[in-house]
Amino acid sequence: MTNGTGGNRAPSRGAGDRGRGGAGWRRSLSLLFALGLVLAACTGGDDGDADPAPDGDGGAQVRNPDVIVHAADDEPLSLDPAQAEPGEGGESVILQVYERLVEFSPSGPELEPGLATEVPSDDNGMISEDGLTYTFPIREGVSFHDGSPLTADDVKYSWDRVLEMDLPEANAGLLADIITETNAVDESTFEVTLNQPNAAFLNSVVTQSVASVVSEEVVEANGGITAGEPNEFLQTNPIGTGPYRFTAWNRGENMLFEVNEEYWGEPASLDLRFEIVSDPDVRVLGLRAGDYDSIETDPSFVGDVEGAEGVEVFAGEYLLEPIHIGMNLNIPEGALPPEDTIPTDFFHDPRVRQAFNYAFDYQGFIDGALGGFGAPVPHYFPQGVLGYDESMPVYEQDLARAEELFREAGWWDEGFTISVITEEANLFEVGGLVLKDSLEGLNENFRVRVLAVAEAQFDEAHAQDPLEYAMWVKNADPYADPHAFMRDYIHPDGPWGQIHGFANGYEDPDQIASMIDDASTTTDPDERVEIYGQLAEILFEDPMWIIAGNETALNAHRDWLQGFVMNPLWPRPSLKFALYDK
Amino acid sequence: MQIRDYVLRRLLILPFLIFLTSIIVFTLSRAGGSPIGIYLSHEMTQDEVEELEDRFHLNDPLPVQYVYWAGGVLRGDLGWSGVAAAPVAEVFPKKLTATIELAVFAALLAVYMGIKLGTFAGARRNRLADHVARVFAISGASLPLFWFGIILLIVFWVTLGWVSIGRSDAVVFARIAHPTGFYTIDALLAGDLGAFVDALWHLALPVVTLAFSTTAIILRMMRSSLVEELGEEYVDAARAKGLPERLVLRRHARRNALIPTVTVIGLSFGFLLQGTIVVEVIYRWPGLGRWMADAVLRGDRATIMAYVLFTSVMFLIVNLVVDAAYAYLDRRVVLGE
Repeated sequence: MTNGTGGNRAPSRGAGDRGRGGAGWRRSLSLLFALGLVLAACTGGDDGDADPAPDGDGGAQVRNPDVIVHAADDEPLSLDPAQAEPGEGGESVILQVYERLVEFSPSGPELEPGLATEVPSDDNGMISEDGLTYTFPIREGVSFHDGSPLTADDVKYSWDRVLEMDLPEANAGLLADIITETNAVDESTFEVTLNQPNAAFLNSVVTQSVASVVSEEVVEANGGITAGEPNEFLQTNPIGTGPYRFTAWNRGENMLFEVNEEYWGEPASLDLRFEIVSDPDVRVLGLRAGDYDSIETDPSFVGDVEGAEGVEVFAGEYLLEPIHIGMNLNIPEGALPPEDTIPTDFFHDPRVRQAFNYAFDYQGFIDGALGGFGAPVPHYFPQGVLGYDESMPVYEQDLARAEELFREAGWWDEGFTISVITEEANLFEVGGLVLKDSLEGLNENFRVRVLAVAEAQFDEAHAQDPLEYAMWVKNADPYADPHAFMRDYIHPDGPWGQIHGFANGYEDPDQIASMIDDASTTTDPDERVEIYGQLAEILFEDPMWIIAGNETALNAHRDWLQGFVMNPLWPRPSLKFALYDK
Repeated sequence: MQIRDYVLRRLLILPFLIFLTSIIVFTLSRAGGSPIGIYLSHEMTQDEVEELEDRFHLNDPLPVQYVYWAGGVLRGDLGWSGVAAAPVAEVFPKKLTATIELAVFAALLAVYMGIKLGTFAGARRNRLADHVARVFAISGASLPLFWFGIILLIVFWVTLGWVSIGRSDAVVFARIAHPTGFYTIDALLAGDLGAFVDALWHLALPVVTLAFSTTAIILRMMRSSLVEELGEEYVDAARAKGLPERLVLRRHARRNALIPTVTVIGLSFGFLLQGTIVVEVIYRWPGLGRWMADAVLRGDRATIMAYVLFTSVMFLIVNLVVDAAYAYLDRRVVLGE
């Protein structure tokens, strides 16, 4: 019998060990082992990546040679051009499957013919003298994925449909605000009449997802058009003319596309699959493993893939969605959170708005949140739009000036507490925190409360009119033309102009309004550039936003992907997969 | 009282307990603000928001809202999942089968390995095998699941390329029908061995990750209770009788040592469920856990309520099974009064 403690019931384990003399070293050994594991765990944790493991498989062997796999970060809600929200997942699918009359060429803001055989301009006479009527010759011999032929009637039907359904989320306003009439002159000619000349019509309306061409036959056979209501069939079954045919949508998993053999242009080389991977770490691992050819890339984790074997990071132009912080000049009485001490006309004083703009740490935001992949933005001209000029005045952090302005405006000694609402756990929250840091670091009497809430809650707050918050963080909707930014974010009668009450703050709201209107109605680009240059100077003195920065368009992909090109003017992820090969 | 009567009595109380839990969670879910957020889109106007609020009865007092919800549940309508863009009742079974497949394999692995290794360790108390097992148990209880899972992915997916992520290969998935939603069973039904292996291969890493901490807990409990049992007098008696050690262990000591272990197994079911959330997100497993993670982060109350309902039912049933198992394992246990 070797039971060391005899026939007695074994007491606690510890006593048993001690009774056996030489067992002490075994205990030390297991303690050491455990310590080693703990140390390994601690040192592994830091940059989301344990010690750089040698990339065994990455190198030469192309994975999935018959299909391009792109890992997207979220799932579309709707694939119907009349319903898909700008900047949202559905647009990526619409970009591959549907087409528009005129498209942005891969290399930049130049327009190229799409379903129209020519881009209307003053020179080719397809824009009428008064600038109100555009004529598009429609390409012949094009058919939809179900085989039905494309005619000008389909184009008219597509646009009328958007206007009739008038779904708010799709930005139907883009068409509704300027179109008075659509007309299919004959099978191969489509005409549009606007309510006033608009220089941005082609690049900001005709190229957008909402203006994609759907098949009249398909829609009529599947629910037709009901005013104010979405069409369930088109939500999940996009049938367009594009280089890819949509084959399957496995919710939460992936979306499958097949090459359209009958495509009128250069056909795609490989089938396509969008994998829906919301976790950025998994996207990175998948890219390194070679299972994903391209991934939705964010500045926050670009560092994890830079330099990895077989991976290339494309850093191109800037996205056209600057991240901004709004200032509310139209705060209803008693609506602010109780902790806020500011009066409702706090932002009416331009000095206050300027002071906020001088206080913000732009470089800190760009280097930190954007990982260095970004740039400051003049009010309100993101890099890449017509009229943007490097010489435009841009705010840089100047704490001395900020202090001076706060003193002049009378807030320095008294201080204030203000709340800014933002979505949580993303760039916007960081923007709010940088604002907090900048202001509180300037003066200890300044207090900024960052209310980081779930996206759903933020959306709810954001939809209020009048807004019950003094400040909020979000990004602009992406537009190709400066007029769209002016209209939405600067014009006193535009959507934000009204909600925020810009008229209460601008020194001369009428002047700004008329300058913006003039720049949008003239089709002479030089004239527009001149007006925008002047506007930039005025807006610098009278800012209505704090523009934290503009993100660089980024994409991490495998180096075996050939023909890679990315144009931020195309909807996110700004990639036309039909152009690539492996 | 008889096991059968006891079980019946517990089953009768079950609906009442579920009802209570649902009230508590419903109230808490509304405490975080209006659930309307998930149904909104960026461009909606104030009027449209109000219209939606009316449609979902969000302006009514809380008890009235609860009645609408409970009534819906009884009719089989669990609401609309903003996250899945479909009725909850439609999506739930699909996600459920995915999670059950994962959890069942993980539970089987954990219980088997936990008991096996715990017995092994307990019988070799203070020898090397025991120390190794105890280190294993500590690391299992301490290593964060998400870290462990990602490490496994880095090693087996990125570096070695042996496994892939997700539940099955896209090509294999399209090849067979999926009547049950359990990919292993579907593959067997279709007679497709390749698909079966593919399903198992995709299960491997998530199951190991999920089972790791549960195994550790069960192992620990099994080991220590076995050690205690082996110190009892009846064990000496059995040995004195001349019974081989193997039988002493299996027929006597282990059976008794299982009693507290079974409690732990029942409790660790809760850990398993929690673990599925993290494991599913990392491995892109299309199950309840991942759906729930999205729902919580995005404020999708309908989905959350359905999940809470489900887990409370599951938990209550599992504990009922545990109690019944006691009575089977230990004749001294008298259930009820």
